[in-house]
Amino acid sequence: MDPAVRSIDLRKTYGVGSAAVTALDGVSFALAPGTVAALLGPSGSGKSTLIKALGFVSPADAGEVYFAGRLVVKDGAALADLASLRRRHLGFVFQKANLTSFLTARENVEIACEFGGKPDGRRRARALLEYLDVAGRERAYPEMLSGGEQQRVAIARALANEPSLILADEPTAALDSVRSRTVMELFRKVAHERGAAVLVVTHDHRALDVFDHLYEMEDGRLRPYHPAAATAAAPPPA
Amino acid sequence: MNLALRDVRRHLGRFLGTAGGLGLLLTVVVAMQGIYAGMVDDATILARAMRADLWIVQRDTRGPFAEGSRLDPSVEARAAALPGVRRARPYTYQTIQRDHHGQIMRIALVGLGWPDDAGASLPLVRGRPLQQGHGELIVDASLGLALGMSLTLAGEPYRVVGLTRNALTSGGDSVAFVSVADAQLIALDQPAEATVLERQRVVERLRGTDLGRGQPALEDLATDPRWRAPAVASPPVAAVLVEVAPHQLAAVRAIVGSWGDVTVYTQAEQEALLLGGVVQRARMQIGLFTVILTLTAAVIVMMVIYNLTLEKTHDLAVLKLMGAPRRRLLGLVLQQAWLLGALGYAVAYTVGQVAFPAFPRRVLITDTIAVLAPLATMIIVTLASVLGLTHVQRIDPSRALEG
Repeated sequence: MDPAVRSIDLRKTYGVGSAAVTALDGVSFALAPGTVAALLGPSGSGKSTLIKALGFVSPADAGEVYFAGRLVVKDGAALADLASLRRRHLGFVFQKANLTSFLTARENVEIACEFGGKPDGRRRARALLEYLDVAGRERAYPEMLSGGEQQRVAIARALANEPSLILADEPTAALDSVRSRTVMELFRKVAHERGAAVLVVTHDHRALDVFDHLYEMEDGRLRPYHPAAATAAAPPPA
Repeated sequence: MNLALRDVRRHLGRFLGTAGGLGLLLTVVVAMQGIYAGMVDDATILARAMRADLWIVQRDTRGPFAEGSRLDPSVEARAAALPGVRRARPYTYQTIQRDHHGQIMRIALVGLGWPDDAGASLPLVRGRPLQQGHGELIVDASLGLALGMSLTLAGEPYRVVGLTRNALTSGGDSVAFVSVADAQLIALDQPAEATVLERQRVVERLRGTDLGRGQPALEDLATDPRWRAPAVASPPVAAVLVEVAPHQLAAVRAIVGSWGDVTVYTQAEQEALLLGGVVQRARMQIGLFTVILTLTAAVIVMMVIYNLTLEKTHDLAVLKLMGAPRRRLLGLVLQQAWLLGALGYAVAYTVGQVAFPAFPRRVLITDTIAVLAPLATMIIVTLASVLGLTHVQRIDPSRALEG
């Protein structure tokens, strides 16, 4: 089976000359359907740039991105309708829930169903909110929801178009540890039960056991992350 | 799902407030256009109501509305005798100001050539035309006089027998119609002392002539109040209105034009004189003011729509990231602009219905304004949404990822 998404030798540089910053330095990466992976790394290491490149939001300067085995971006040039790809096959979850402020919880999910061309959006939206345990808040506007509820609705929205790839950029940054773990477990549930590939950018090391694969980025390079090695390398407590 | 309506629903109070403000602005724009149209209509309604083919006025004047015109009354008979003339009637026009029950009334007094012209062609809304040559008048309803009421002019009571609507001068004065004879009585009204002095002047002039010296009885005649002094000329008229048989207009005009003491205008020329001369500056002023107001409204609408869009930048970035079709997002801005325009116009229409009748100047909402104003509003809001639409186009979906 083809990976849900695969990148080969992605490179991206911001700025020019002495001010140039390399955000992606030959990143090759693949994520299979039904798996959930975490992407760790310090600020400025290139995580968000990679998410933008894999999500067809902001292409890399060089390299290739395949989606479900099909080459869709090559050296920064789109070879397919990227907006349509995002609409039909991708789901996004952000650090803040980023729900549309003038839509209720249900409508936020329903509009994603519409964009994704899924029929019977209202029924689907209700089912997804129920699946994520926020069905009772379907008429509430985002500002009336707690942080955790907002993130659940955001995940429901990301699932609305039955995506084959979900990209989450620090989705638990604004949540306490209990809610963070709940959200991470939701991602695993979505990946394992619905067959989506899920890539989560996170700084939170407390729920790494939830993920099937761990990666870390540093100075634009991607490598597998091994928690034990990282712990051993850490300086002893004073 | 209609995103524009969802956004309006969420911010209903603010949206309605904005539409209300826009509506008041549109009310002013429509009022200016209505005042402009009213001014043009007022300027010509008097001339149109007379239904004349030719206006004969004093030589080298543009009377009687643009300037004073004094015409010898014999012109009426001269014109009536011409072949091709169906009817000739005298016409007088003067502005008077009278106190009525403590209120100052400014009246444009028009003399009708009774009995040929009893005012049947006037835009009467109540009452009847004149039925006698003295003591009756037709007034515009804007004067506030009711049928049967009396108005004292030149020391005599005049009974209101008919009411017109919108018979106003270009200056906004209400018009009253009486017979020419009454109009002249009112115009020539003077105190008894002035009459005595005038008779005395006639006597002095007689004494300076051979005729006066040879016929002393003439002095008695001049000072006798039962007699009219022969030296006093018949009062002039302002114009003579001529109705011409079909296809005779050019011929009659050519003959009258050859008379040395008059100038002749067709009905169309008289109306053009009114528009071009009497109200030209006011027209231009109001016209320019209307243009400025319309532009101001367009700029304000543009900024309102742009700000409404600007506030939604993050929401729009998220929707773009989700792959929202471009037409859905552009549609959101355009539909809100149209809704704002429609609501604004509805407010303007409603306020106008209530407020315009109370304006001191007539606000005439012509058919053209009634059709063009909502159309122009929708065009303006569409054009005004360009900034907002451009902003939507430029929103980078990656902004949604920046938290």
